[in-house]
Amino acid sequence: MALLEVRDLKMYYKTLRGHVKAVDSVSFDIERGKALGIAGESGCGKTSMAVTVLRLLPSNGKIHGGSVKLDGVDIVKLDDEEFRKSIRWKKISMVFQGAMNALNPVHRVGDQIVEAILAHEDVSHQEAVTRAEELLDMVGINPKRYKEYPHEFSGGMKQRVVIAMALACNPDVIIADEPTTALDVMVQSQVLKAMEDLRKRLDLSMILITHDLSVIAQTCDNIAIMYAGKIVEYGNVIDVFDHPTHPYGMGLVKSFPNIKAERTRVRSLPGFPPNLLAPPKGCRFHPRCPLAGDICMEEEPELIEIGSNSHKVACHKVDMLERGVDIWEQ
Amino acid sequence: MGFSRYLLRRLGYALIVLFVIMSFNFAIFRLMPGDATKMIIDPMFTPEAIAELKRQFGLDDPPLVQYFKYVGNLFKFDLGLSFSTRRPVVNELKERLPNTMMLFLTSFTFTTIIGISVGVFTASRRGTFSDNFVTGAGLFTYAVPTFWIQLLLLMLFGYYIPILPIHGTMSAPPPDGFLLQFLDRIHHLILPAGSNVIVAFGSWALYTRNTMLEALGQDYIVTARAKGLPENTVLRHHALRSVLPPIVTLIFGALPGMVSGAVITETIFSWHGVGKYLMDAVMQQDYPAAQGAFYLIALAVVICNLAADIVYGIVDPRIRVGEGGAK
Repeated sequence: MALLEVRDLKMYYKTLRGHVKAVDSVSFDIERGKALGIAGESGCGKTSMAVTVLRLLPSNGKIHGGSVKLDGVDIVKLDDEEFRKSIRWKKISMVFQGAMNALNPVHRVGDQIVEAILAHEDVSHQEAVTRAEELLDMVGINPKRYKEYPHEFSGGMKQRVVIAMALACNPDVIIADEPTTALDVMVQSQVLKAMEDLRKRLDLSMILITHDLSVIAQTCDNIAIMYAGKIVEYGNVIDVFDHPTHPYGMGLVKSFPNIKAERTRVRSLPGFPPNLLAPPKGCRFHPRCPLAGDICMEEEPELIEIGSNSHKVACHKVDMLERGVDIWEQ
Repeated sequence: MGFSRYLLRRLGYALIVLFVIMSFNFAIFRLMPGDATKMIIDPMFTPEAIAELKRQFGLDDPPLVQYFKYVGNLFKFDLGLSFSTRRPVVNELKERLPNTMMLFLTSFTFTTIIGISVGVFTASRRGTFSDNFVTGAGLFTYAVPTFWIQLLLLMLFGYYIPILPIHGTMSAPPPDGFLLQFLDRIHHLILPAGSNVIVAFGSWALYTRNTMLEALGQDYIVTARAKGLPENTVLRHHALRSVLPPIVTLIFGALPGMVSGAVITETIFSWHGVGKYLMDAVMQQDYPAAQGAFYLIALAVVICNLAADIVYGIVDPRIRVGEGGAK
């Protein structure tokens, strides 16, 4: 049994013009100690998926079905108070996107870590402070800076503090939502390295959400590619990067330059992601897909396994694609 | 910039403002239509007597000399003699100041507590009936004139349901015993202070609500929720704490308004305080009394502003850069 099993998870935002199906029947597993990367364009539902797992939904967001099993317990069914006490941060913590804004500007950074510890563990304030100092040390920040405020830290250091905070209660799973997007490339690689070291050392599972495929290639075991609220391709990072099979996955990988391979033109995908208020009938990618046929406009493809290694693709034209046709050429 | 330098600069500004007010204060009452001497000088007096009276009150000097004498006396806390009572203005103000302070502090404390609590409450229940109702009520009392609400309350509780005294700071004669006197004062305080709260809580509630809503949309609030903190802690410790700096500025910024609002409140409820004293003095063209009361109110406004700056520096750590130990 996997540590985290997400099955048919559906989360819709209610708007004046109808439901926005931001997360629509998403399923995936994460084993203990493994990292899953979730990639996709802006607005494909990556972040919505993350906040759905932690149930941090805005008032118009609602889970419309599916299950999230952590160690066999369906945490979607827990009541709010129980979820807050036993799951949030204790089992699943999160590293947030905006390094600049994820920390409260009017509280000392150390206190913000201590607060998380005290909310879940029955320890004295002094013990929590000692632990917070250890955590800061672990992410490479001088524990003496415990008493400083967020504005006294650089962007990269703030992100380290956020990571230290995420580790405060020894969680099983960390969800990292664009953890390095706001940072420059040098700091980005330092932060990623720090995260990877800690994850391996503490045997943590991680969901890494990013639109930067190189970050996933560098840190994750598996990758899920999302398009319009659904997972269209899933598999081992090496399989997916070497043999992207879904037309969208293929396009996404091709749109990323590979400095080791032969020099080629970087491809861009024509068209725009669909409006999730009224997603296209059938396969959601068919309006942008060069292979789209009649069946694609009518029936929604299932996510089915191809080859070995649980590489899965949701596409009607999968037979054709497996033969290795480069559909984005010309 | 260190905190002490910040303070010194604020203090410097305050002194300049005081000087300007002092000068305007002198000029403004002399520019008012009417002649003060008519109030104290009977046309039947002999010219010698008139000249003597004018000399006593310092009205025979040229304006510039009067001004310098006035400034010099101010530094000695000598505000001159009231034209109408012939008593030193300082003594009269001293008698009335405690009453004004009592009314002011009571109104201020309750307005702050009620206003901010209502703001936090409505922000946490955004879009519900209780939010709409309380916000609407606050907006209404904020929008209508102060005196109108005060007169309505006076009518309601003084005439239709006569449970509260409608004027004065205490009963005449006062009841015996300290406790009874104390309760009598509170009894008299309810209507004026209560009406001040009703009029002022709305703007603070709305401001708190809006800044809270803005804060609740910030990333660090999502972080706080994700950490599994109870909603109450998220609201108070994270959202409210981070919007306190602007609210404190608003509160202290509103203090001057409350001080000067005392003129209306005290007049309506015949409250024996500085505000009513100013009103009476203006009506009677009593320059020294009006100047004194006006100056006292202006002084209070400047002190409130200075206090706002100091408190702002304390609640918002970002203003204290250079003091906390970092580079």
